[in-house]
Amino acid sequence: MTKEKNGAVISLGNISKEFRTLNRREGLKGSILDLFSRNYKIIKAVNGISFDIQPGEKVGLLGPNGAGKSTAIKMMSGVLKPTSGEIRVNGVIPYNNRTKNAQNIGVVFGQRTQLWWALPLIESFKLLKDIYLIEDADYKNMLELYKSIIDLEPLLKKPVRQMSLGQRTLSDILASFLHNPKVVFLDEPTIGLDVSMKSKIRELVLELNRVRNTTVILTTHDIGDVDALCERVIIIDKGSKLYDNSIEELKHFFGSYRTLKIMFDKKAYNEKTLLTDVDELQRLFGGIEHADGIVSVSKNEEWIDILVDEDKCAVVELLSVVRKYKKVADIKLDEISTEEVIKRIYEGD
Amino acid sequence: MSTKIKKRGLAFYIKIYFKIIAQDIKSKMSYRADFIISNLGMIIQHGASFITFWILFQNFPSVMGWEYEEMLFFYGFSLIAMTPMQCLFDNNWFLRHKVYSGDFIKYCFRPINVFFYYISEIFDLKGIGLFTAGTAILIYSWSKLELAFSVLTLGLLVINLVAASLFMIAIMNLAAATCFWTINGGITMVFAQQFQSYARYPITIFGKFLRFVFTFVIPMAFVSYYPSLTFLSPDEIPLLTWLCPLIGVAFFLLSYFVWMKGAKNYSGTGS
Repeated sequence: MTKEKNGAVISLGNISKEFRTLNRREGLKGSILDLFSRNYKIIKAVNGISFDIQPGEKVGLLGPNGAGKSTAIKMMSGVLKPTSGEIRVNGVIPYNNRTKNAQNIGVVFGQRTQLWWALPLIESFKLLKDIYLIEDADYKNMLELYKSIIDLEPLLKKPVRQMSLGQRTLSDILASFLHNPKVVFLDEPTIGLDVSMKSKIRELVLELNRVRNTTVILTTHDIGDVDALCERVIIIDKGSKLYDNSIEELKHFFGSYRTLKIMFDKKAYNEKTLLTDVDELQRLFGGIEHADGIVSVSKNEEWIDILVDEDKCAVVELLSVVRKYKKVADIKLDEISTEEVIKRIYEGD
Repeated sequence: MSTKIKKRGLAFYIKIYFKIIAQDIKSKMSYRADFIISNLGMIIQHGASFITFWILFQNFPSVMGWEYEEMLFFYGFSLIAMTPMQCLFDNNWFLRHKVYSGDFIKYCFRPINVFFYYISEIFDLKGIGLFTAGTAILIYSWSKLELAFSVLTLGLLVINLVAASLFMIAIMNLAAATCFWTINGGITMVFAQQFQSYARYPITIFGKFLRFVFTFVIPMAFVSYYPSLTFLSPDEIPLLTWLCPLIGVAFFLLSYFVWMKGAKNYSGTGS
């Protein structure tokens, strides 16, 4: 229904998931009593989450540990049944049609390979071709596409157990796209990988998303993944959705903060005058029109850091004011990092 | 993409099964020493049991009316009946570990039956040693007992062996599936394996209580005793022997449904 309404490939309508766990007692006596206990505690892992995801979107599903990300992915992949609410993936209710849903999705768990441990990658691919009923032509096209993006040959003949973690993750990602699914879930795909492997994996996912228009849902604690891959970010914590918008908007979530770093020309000023610069600048800025946009001025070794809310005060304007009075040797402009913003969202600012 | 809708029927599963098994055997064959040692071990283990039998019967001409060759018949029959469980369903032994570590979840993401996918992963070649030992013992006792042999008896033998192996598989499925609900799933597997050794004895040597247990609670008596009576006492075949194939299929299906219910119940550990 939702599918016809807005064309979403995934839609979650007020989804909740409760787990019932036994209140365990301490000690041996406690464990024996627990056998007969009916004293359950209800834990709400996911609490009324809704969102729609359009075909081809790249969405980062973020949140601290235990936020409910994995539970959400398990519900979307048909492993878990939501306690209440409605999920549609490609118009199918995942839990009621697990196998049908599985045909349309791919799943990768960063540290758990889903490939056959003892088999060379190519043999795993052949088995997957049979399992997913992939047509010969489609299979060949996909392998060609892979070869155009990465150096596939050395991987194909290597048994999975002999691969490095990076090669294994790469192989798992290739395997998850093999049947050309509409949606691929990547759960912490770059965990434990080195920098060059991380960027290789990001490039691969970006390219596959671009060519095949595959929807990518990514969970990660690596903000580099988010910056490189995601257009949209959904942040959940304690089972509830805190944020759902584009990654640019995320940076503006607490106002558009940037830090202007200025280094004065040392030849023109001696050390002593530099120490008083902070006060002097603050006095200077006191007189300008949008002074309330200046959040703070501080000295950081030889740099003077000026944190500016750009919605109120333009950095360019500020810089021209400074240059009227001072000789500037160098400037730098720092964006507030995604990591910083997300940290502040988690901490409930 | 093709819009053709293809069904995953029995032919699909058989094809996939043989492909996966073939790959598994191929990769295991590359560890030739492991293959030879584990099978040799299996044959020696059962060779030793054979000798124990032999020594025992040097001193006692019969046990509760069962003669040496008849006891061997039960034994050989039980070994063959355990072969499919050993060869094809060995992955049940790793189920507990995979459930607790959370690795089990990977079996839930493929568009095929979870039980099938899980079980198909491993083909245990040790079963070949088991089968060899069992067949040798059965042929020996068969000829010593001078039992009749015809196409009919061969057919009956196959049917009864299939039924008996279904019991064995079902018992291990149920024992393995307990790990979906309890933390001590390993105990039930070891427990069930301990009882496997009772399968080789005719239940008449046990007391009333154990006879009841091995027939109706942990049906080890169906792994060898009841089906073997088809050949050992063809003149008075008990009702349970006749029903053996039927109950075997039903019991296997029951174990399958319990296993699948457990897998559905499974929610995976958080990551």
